[in-house]
Amino acid sequence: MRSETDQKPTRRSFLDLLLGVSVVAWLGSVLYPVFRYLKPLPQSGPVGPTRLTATELTKLEKDGFVIVPFSGKRVLVVQNAAHQLLALDAKCTHEGCTVQYLAGESVIWCACHNARFDLDGRVLSGPPPRPLPRYTAERQEDGGVVIVGERTSA
Amino acid sequence: MKRVALILCQAVCALQIGVAAAEKPAIPAKLAALLAATGEDRKPVITPEQRTYFEGLNDHITALLSNATETEIITRADHLGSILALGLRPQKMEVLLQDNCILCHTDPEVQKPETLFSLSPPAGARPHLNLRHVVDDVHFARGLSCSGCHGGDPANDKLEHTHVKEWPGTDRDKNRAWILAFCARCHSDPALMNRFNPGLPTDQLAKYKESPHGKLLIEAKDPRAPDCLSCHGVHGIRNAKNPLSTVNAKRVHETCGACHANPVTMAGFKLPDGSPLPTNQVAEYRASVHGRALLERGDLGAPTCNKCHGNHAAMPVGLASVSQSCGLCHAGNASLFDGSKHKKAFEEHKWAQCAKCHGNHGIVKTHDGMLGTGADSMCVDCHQQYAKNNPECNATAEYFHATIARMDEAWSQFGVVAEQLAMRGLDVDPIHDKLNELADTIKQARAHIHSFSRNNFDQVVAPGNKAVESISALTDGAKTEYRSRQLGLGASIVLIGVMMMAVYLKLRRLERQEEGSLR
Amino acid sequence: MYYQPGEATAYESMRYLTTKVPFGWLMRSVHCWSAHLMIISLVAHMFSTMMLKAYRPPRELTWVTGYIMFALTLGFGFSGYLLPWNKLAFFATSVGTDLVKSVPVAGDWLLHVLRGGPDVTANTLYRFFALHVVILPLLFVGLIGIHLLFVQRQGMAPPIGQKVAPRGMKFFPSFALRDLLLWLFCFMILLVLAVFLPYGPGIPGMEWELGEKANPLEPAFPGIKPEWYFLWEYQLLKEFPPHLLGLEGPQLCLLVVTLLLGIWAIIPWLDRQAARNEPSPSFSDFGWGAIVFLTFLTLKAWDIGGLQPVDSPASIKVISRTCAWWTLGLGAVIVAVRWVVYKHRWFIFTGAALLHVALHGLLGLSYLTAGAIAGLLAVIAVVTRVLAARRVKATVGASP
Repeated sequence: MRSETDQKPTRRSFLDLLLGVSVVAWLGSVLYPVFRYLKPLPQSGPVGPTRLTATELTKLEKDGFVIVPFSGKRVLVVQNAAHQLLALDAKCTHEGCTVQYLAGESVIWCACHNARFDLDGRVLSGPPPRPLPRYTAERQEDGGVVIVGERTSA
Repeated sequence: MKRVALILCQAVCALQIGVAAAEKPAIPAKLAALLAATGEDRKPVITPEQRTYFEGLNDHITALLSNATETEIITRADHLGSILALGLRPQKMEVLLQDNCILCHTDPEVQKPETLFSLSPPAGARPHLNLRHVVDDVHFARGLSCSGCHGGDPANDKLEHTHVKEWPGTDRDKNRAWILAFCARCHSDPALMNRFNPGLPTDQLAKYKESPHGKLLIEAKDPRAPDCLSCHGVHGIRNAKNPLSTVNAKRVHETCGACHANPVTMAGFKLPDGSPLPTNQVAEYRASVHGRALLERGDLGAPTCNKCHGNHAAMPVGLASVSQSCGLCHAGNASLFDGSKHKKAFEEHKWAQCAKCHGNHGIVKTHDGMLGTGADSMCVDCHQQYAKNNPECNATAEYFHATIARMDEAWSQFGVVAEQLAMRGLDVDPIHDKLNELADTIKQARAHIHSFSRNNFDQVVAPGNKAVESISALTDGAKTEYRSRQLGLGASIVLIGVMMMAVYLKLRRLERQEEGSLR
Repeated sequence: MYYQPGEATAYESMRYLTTKVPFGWLMRSVHCWSAHLMIISLVAHMFSTMMLKAYRPPRELTWVTGYIMFALTLGFGFSGYLLPWNKLAFFATSVGTDLVKSVPVAGDWLLHVLRGGPDVTANTLYRFFALHVVILPLLFVGLIGIHLLFVQRQGMAPPIGQKVAPRGMKFFPSFALRDLLLWLFCFMILLVLAVFLPYGPGIPGMEWELGEKANPLEPAFPGIKPEWYFLWEYQLLKEFPPHLLGLEGPQLCLLVVTLLLGIWAIIPWLDRQAARNEPSPSFSDFGWGAIVFLTFLTLKAWDIGGLQPVDSPASIKVISRTCAWWTLGLGAVIVAVRWVVYKHRWFIFTGAALLHVALHGLLGLSYLTAGAIAGLLAVIAVVTRVLAARRVKATVGASP
């Protein structure tokens, strides 16, 4: 009888300890994802402008154009002879090949079927049925380039 | 109360109808009588659709119609109906109603079956009697109606005009060269054409004369030779962009095939090498990658007969101009080939560049088996015959094939992996970016084999190899992420399990204590 | 938290949430899973209440509040479905809201109010967002308070026949800890489901892959179906011809559904036997009949056993037959268990529902004809039964 009462407190305290620790651990395991979830990411938001990376930027300077992933699509950013920035969908409207910018001729060219577009995306020659959708690209004060979004009115 | 409202409502309605009637001038008696006429079955001859069309006409057109009934050019309701049934827009209706040729030649009372134009000419009648073709014609839309070709005065309602005065009196089917001159009266006159369509070229006849077709008609006077009408039709000449036009991109192969796919018509014509001119081009074209793109997928950019052969100056594609022709669209490939070792060899053997491997009318979609030294290889036949002792060539061909096959394999395999990862809720956007890059490289690699240079090919392939590496790293990363998610889940399940156990024990203890205290 | 309503941002922010935000995928997955599980458990709770007659006086209002909350939950589901602004959601919402047009007189007005204009646009998105995060939650919180208050005041309903409720458990610790245990268990299941099946179990009407962004200019694609809990209604609509009895098909269908739902709402007042604390086999059977009715329609909406193309007449026939066999199988099990285990002897509604399914699926009668026949037979059977019971009562009353 006596031994039982002696043992009881330790067993009970062990149980309480176990309970307490497991509750705390469990709370931690729930709160950790929640806190991680709540803390905003340092980069831009879901629909905010996409900034070109340093490598992309050097490529733009060197070749006059670069192809950048932008919300699941590929966008061709062109810097024309007058140093204006233009952005167009890089997917040819004919067979879906990736287009490129020919700086010498100031046209956008698709190698697959020799299609040519002007810098507004209009079809100059070749088989594409529609012009290339246009995007808006802007140069920021620090020299960086961002793609802002699709242009609704062409 | 209800009754009063009803009467009021009726009164208002009647008033409105009265106002509407006052705005529109009353229809003259003769026209009104024709509109109201009933047939033998006591139903109105003018259908509701025709009636609706009539009601939508502007005053000017209604006046013209009324004039035609007053002068008794239109005297029958079915005649009026056949004109309304055309459903023409006002501009065309105006031309039609001022043209007594058409008004008279659509009157079933005056005309014999072989001179009556209607929307549904009887079976077996010559197709030029279809009135729809006449009003759809590009010439009609610009005010050039029957009299433009047949002569006469459309404003005159008596039969004084000189029918077909300008046509050859006899023999006009045997020697059809007069047709060229007839169309060329206007179409080769820049000043005249400028009045109607300033952008339209006026060099068709000049081109045609240079073509085998023209020579056949003008010099050889061959009755099988095509004239303008053979391709463009007689009545119902439509703009080439109109899908109903015989020269619309989707119908060109039928129009050319009318002669070229007919062994009887083509009998006796020979190729430069003396063999008979084939008649399977159209069939081959339909099954070709170009034919299927145009006819099945509706890609109007895909070439049809005239893209390579020309239209008014249609002629065979010469040996030297094959790569020019193909290069119109496949520009990269043509220039790569021109810079390759093969160029000279092909010229020496008089091989038709692109066509040697890809064929002409029946070009099928290329596949990687055409590379390398396998059963479908394009290389082996010639190389065994002409370049037997060149192991380097075989090695290069094998290398091209193996490299492209490896990238293609990676592309499709990683595509499946990306799909699986996406289904597990992982971010696969970066993987898709790289997969797109890889796909581009594969396309370029396939084009650059035409340089037949390993160096050139390797330069193009390099980014693809890089892409494969990064895709591999990205998918590994995603898999690790998934594993860590599972691990996290496992850990929290263990935690929850422990907690449940603790809660359960606590519960039992508390309840037992309570029972104890109750007792 | 990261969601931004609006035509240009809704889809993009959902995509960003699930792909880029740490644990964003988990949040969405848990949210979707719990939404579906909530509806499943509510359906189960409602039918168990129905079968155990827990709605009988004085708990009629508890039933009604529960009924309304169930409707609100479906509203949560419907409004939340549109918010990601993906293709499927857009078209399903277009079709779903279009049904409102059939409401007599006020139909067009209601449609405009619901959509914020004649078509589903960004306006609809804002409205649904407001519904989903403000209006419905407020209503729901109020109702759940009332519901729980009723339960607290009146206690759990004792099974029929039992006079007094068993002595209540002490709230703490017994009830609270047991509840906690169950809650933890459910939480665990939810986590497992959310991690292993982040886009749902892959049952049509129960998946939430984002897919492509909605494009209002694109034509609707065939085979748009709502979430699983609306499938029965979707299928019922399809069974109605365009015009019937001088009404438009959807109108008539809406009338029938409203009638049935109306009956369902006032069951506590209809069921006089249960009110007297007597067994009421007819209402149990009504519940089971409803289960058979809903099961068949839902199975059929899943195109079970369909051939290619699925919507050809031949395929629809096969689907009807296959689903009829499944439903009849389920019905047989229900009847057998009730007969043997619960000693039920009242099967008119279940029987009618099964007959309906059999006539339609196996004999090839149209759904409505079969329904009319089965319904008529059920009415005759019920009337005969009631008259017979009266006569027995009369003779029993007269004889002593």
